Amino acid sequence: MSNRSAFSTDPKPAREKELFEILVESSTDFAIFTVAPDGTATSWNISAERVFGYAEGEIVGSSADVIYTPEDRAAGVHEAERVEAGRTGRAEDERWHRRKDGTRFWASGVMMPLRSPGEGFVKIVRDRTEHHRAEEALREREERFRLLATSVPQLVFRTAPDGGRSWASPQWIDFTGLGPEESLGHGWLEAIHPDERMATLERWGEAVETGEYYLEHRVRRARDGEYRWHQTRARPVDPAQGAASEWVGTMTDIHELRGLQDRQEVLVAELQHRTRNLLAVVQSITSQTIRKAASLEEFQTEFEGRLRALGRVQGLLARLDHHGIDLHMLLEAELRAHGDGALESGKISVDGPPVALPAISAQALGLALHELATNAVKYGALGQGTGRLSVRWNIERGGAEPVVSLEWRESGVTLPGAGLPMRKGYGSELIERALPYQLRARTSLEFGPDGVRCAIAVPVGLNGAGPGHG
Amino acid sequence: MDDGTRNALRGRRLLIVEDDYMVALELVRSLEEQGVEVLGPVGSVEDALALVEQEGARMDGAVLDINLRNKRVYPVAEALAARGVPFIFATGYDALVIPEAYAHVPRCEKPLDKALLARVLARVH
Repeated sequence: MSNRSAFSTDPKPAREKELFEILVESSTDFAIFTVAPDGTATSWNISAERVFGYAEGEIVGSSADVIYTPEDRAAGVHEAERVEAGRTGRAEDERWHRRKDGTRFWASGVMMPLRSPGEGFVKIVRDRTEHHRAEEALREREERFRLLATSVPQLVFRTAPDGGRSWASPQWIDFTGLGPEESLGHGWLEAIHPDERMATLERWGEAVETGEYYLEHRVRRARDGEYRWHQTRARPVDPAQGAASEWVGTMTDIHELRGLQDRQEVLVAELQHRTRNLLAVVQSITSQTIRKAASLEEFQTEFEGRLRALGRVQGLLARLDHHGIDLHMLLEAELRAHGDGALESGKISVDGPPVALPAISAQALGLALHELATNAVKYGALGQGTGRLSVRWNIERGGAEPVVSLEWRESGVTLPGAGLPMRKGYGSELIERALPYQLRARTSLEFGPDGVRCAIAVPVGLNGAGPGHG
Repeated sequence: MDDGTRNALRGRRLLIVEDDYMVALELVRSLEEQGVEVLGPVGSVEDALALVEQEGARMDGAVLDINLRNKRVYPVAEALAARGVPFIFATGYDALVIPEAYAHVPRCEKPLDKALLARVLARVH
């Protein structure tokens, strides 16, 4: 009855105390102990013994403040905590603690006053070292990522798999002029060329399936408003998570590279065009040489001579592409090919200022000089002992574009008379008709009593020095 | 070349636009042998446009080189198309570099096969 009476009169406190004790003793994750208002330990559970290294017997009755680090104690952290717990009913902390053997561990704790402040406090502490280390490691990794992401020349971003960005590197912000906030979510699309925004966004759908984002698109540079080609790549940080993972990506400026690729394509197309045109020129030379040749032997000599002249011009073109061909070099190449030492013999004088001939003009002019030189060797100044050749030119700048005015003048020659082949040949057709037609040149070709006189005035400059023609 | 093709071109008035004189000369000679009345040849976009302006729709067709002293012949092509005059390209350019708008235009590659050119010309009206 007395039991029963005790049960009925005061059942709750007894039961609560028992439950509390069971809880405290069975709680292996939490160190739970009570202290008096001055910090003296009044109870110490088995976990507290495991966590701090002090046995219940050796600490109860002594100060529990030994669990704080000396620095914290010197700073009065232990007392401040009790004051706060007394005043607000709860003091939480997360800090380094000290074990009996002097080693330290990271722990979170909460201190609450017992029923009345006079009775002291209960403190619950949980060892969080592992968790803390993991957090530290994560922070370090984040820091390393940030350091890398902010020091590479690429624009770096972090994104959800739908393209919604959560972070953009300072390089992105500098390049696009979009602020960190403006770039969040899909705000960054503002810097993508309007024509490519749709593709840029749609590509994320494919990326989730393939596990990689890849696209070349134009990004606006804030500094000058230029849209520059970038290569954008992104991959999931944790491929195991698949589509749900966060993605990290880079945008690399490939504008110059693309420019070079485009230029190379143009060059290849031009080369194709140029080669075919050269063959067309060879074709026309063949037909006309055949038409005017009296025999196969004559055809062979003339045709091969013209092919070689064409070859010499091509050689000069290849060497001096885009700068034009120097008239002096072109002329010397022809005279040297025909003159047999005549250039050095004093029979020939060459004089004129430097002139860069556009490629367009050089080929036709080269062929014309070849015809003149061939004729001079066969019938004129380069074939006769008394013959002299003077080639002079100057640049006339009076008109809409500069004109190179060249005079080929032979002297001391006895011409063979009316049967002179050049009069009706390929050479005169080239000089009198082809040059005016294709170079807008003014030309004259005379067979004077003491040798050939040829004047050629070619406009240069307006057509530029671009490659090829036809 | 068969007689059908020869007769197909007889009496036609064709504009020749080609900036290399010797190449143009060969082309003209070959077409004239087939009874073609050649307009031109001309070697620049300006001269070609002037001739198109002057002759108008009285042309039966045109053979156009694409690159004329580093200028493209397309304004001439446009002027011809506006007058309903058919034309073909005779060029060293690959089909790839010809603009989409002219992709359907018959093209003869240089160096020219003049018999083939005549057949292609006979087909365009």
